[in-house]
Amino acid sequence: MKAYINNYELLCDAGDTKSLMEAIYANKSAISISEDFIKDAKAGLGIMQYDNIYSLLIDVTSKVLKQSNLDNFHNTLLILASSVGGMQECEDIFYAQGSYTNIDPNRYSMNALSDHLDNEFKFYDSRAISTACTSSANALLLAKRLIEVEAYDNILVVGADGLCNSTVLGFHSLGVLSNKQCTPFDKNRNGMNVAEAVSVLLVQNQKISNSIQIKGVGASSDAYHMTNPDPSATGAISSMQNAIDDAKLNIDDIDYINAHGTATIANDNVESLAVEKLFGSKTLVNSTKAITGHTLGAAGSVEAIISCEIIKAGVVPAQTGLQELENTNINVPTQNITMDIKNIISNSFAFGGNNTSIVLGVCE
Amino acid sequence: MILYIKQYSDFIDDNSDIVIKNELKKIYKLDTRRQDKFIHLAIYGAQLLKDKIDIDCYDELYVTSGVGDVDIVEKTNTCIYEDHEPLRIFDFINLLGNTTSYYVAKSLGIKGKNIFQISDNFTYINTLISIYSSLKNSKKNAIICTLDLNSIPSQTIKRVLGISNEDKVLSAVNCQKLSLDKQNSIAQVEFDTNIYTKDEIKQYIKDCKVDVVFSYRCKEFEHKNSRFFFETMAAYKVNSSIKKQQDIWYIDCYENRYKILKIKSFK
Repeated sequence: MKAYINNYELLCDAGDTKSLMEAIYANKSAISISEDFIKDAKAGLGIMQYDNIYSLLIDVTSKVLKQSNLDNFHNTLLILASSVGGMQECEDIFYAQGSYTNIDPNRYSMNALSDHLDNEFKFYDSRAISTACTSSANALLLAKRLIEVEAYDNILVVGADGLCNSTVLGFHSLGVLSNKQCTPFDKNRNGMNVAEAVSVLLVQNQKISNSIQIKGVGASSDAYHMTNPDPSATGAISSMQNAIDDAKLNIDDIDYINAHGTATIANDNVESLAVEKLFGSKTLVNSTKAITGHTLGAAGSVEAIISCEIIKAGVVPAQTGLQELENTNINVPTQNITMDIKNIISNSFAFGGNNTSIVLGVCE
Repeated sequence: MILYIKQYSDFIDDNSDIVIKNELKKIYKLDTRRQDKFIHLAIYGAQLLKDKIDIDCYDELYVTSGVGDVDIVEKTNTCIYEDHEPLRIFDFINLLGNTTSYYVAKSLGIKGKNIFQISDNFTYINTLISIYSSLKNSKKNAIICTLDLNSIPSQTIKRVLGISNEDKVLSAVNCQKLSLDKQNSIAQVEFDTNIYTKDEIKQYIKDCKVDVVFSYRCKEFEHKNSRFFFETMAAYKVNSSIKKQQDIWYIDCYENRYKILKIKSFK
């Protein structure tokens, strides 16, 4: 059984899917510079327009249900992917009241978001995956595997993370936050932009007219260092190679690489090296985090939606923010390129060397 | 869906005088700095398993928990709000689920896929389904590390779990090496994606020839409820049945929805 992405929608700093793609092709970053989170310091952040993450989850998921061929989600598995789950609301209450007493336990833990969606839509079953920045890529990986063994016909993958003090201050403490709009793969990049998003994809075992197929998934673990990737790039290479093998494709079959590309020194160095070693200098690669920022647990699903849209549009976007390419042995486009795109690989890499790659493409 | 259990390890912290951090340092010569108790518990369970069976570097790793590490959430919030201190790097890192799976992977020398899956219901069985679907493709073996940490004082964790004040929440880690290959296995665990109603379960177990064990959450069935609980208790019950060489059916429940695990121990 094969897995198809049949419907999707998102909200991020650039707006919904349509607005995001317009921003990507216009090379217009949606990152704003904020002084709200860090004392006496600026940070580039990807900030959404929304009331609260719980109502936003319902809203985006409802849109996907409406687009779909389903009447409801009663025969659908929910896989929620998040790095900090209900932390945002938990922080708000704790900071306001200085106590945990009035925090609803059901909106507190890592899987608070999946419970909330489950209560609203009555999914057949639900679970949550939390592997930081690979969370929703791993949710897509799991969705493909579950459909292959015919465990479920319909799987809703939801990536969701809201901005909160714990993540912004946490990345600040690591010294990897940029104080401006991030510039992936640029020689003078100075760090990442923490961002927020809710992205929802319906994965089914039946294809429809505009399906995008999840052709291959791959994962690996560096087990090298808690926050830094293996500098030899073996984990990143292994993850991409595993996904391409799973798709039964060759390296040359990949038309474009949607990189993890956080714009930190460590990630971009290692990912560039991995791309160089595996693909050489021919295959196009860029990072759309220059527009969206790093949406953490939602990143894999946000970039899966972007990849679906790029396949449908047949246009690889230019790398936004790029002034001077650091690794000149990789092919980062400086202008939008119209071409026939059959297969894309999308990378997600997380702390602890937790690597996941997804190959998406036109249906076989 | 059937997975074969090659070996297991189990440890309940509250029933033991063992100081895990010291054990990790003294016996396993592991660096325990910068890690919290949740991570220590996971690594300890994994090392107990490693003592009993070889771990391949390409085994897949699944760390799973009911509610994760409640203590670290409280600690980081307190640091920012009450102490007005900058968030400490390793508190932030330990907040993330895959930090635990990273340290477990590193201690076992695993380079394969590692996943931190969390589910406040059917935690163990949901992860078994994930593992089964992955191994069918990869043909590798998997390590599952199920753990839950009681926070002190336990009011918060009891509220999160929905446990009455009279009952006790325990810290526990239960690990297993799982495979699709029956050879040299000590037990099998059978499961599926079905969800049953209470009436369906009653009908289902009517002719059962083995012991039926109900989880703490199966309040509507007359049975001897344990007065202690942790969300990954299903894994503990599986390990206990293997230890006693018993065959059992384990019934778990969440909000009037039921799932079944069938455990067969190979004598």
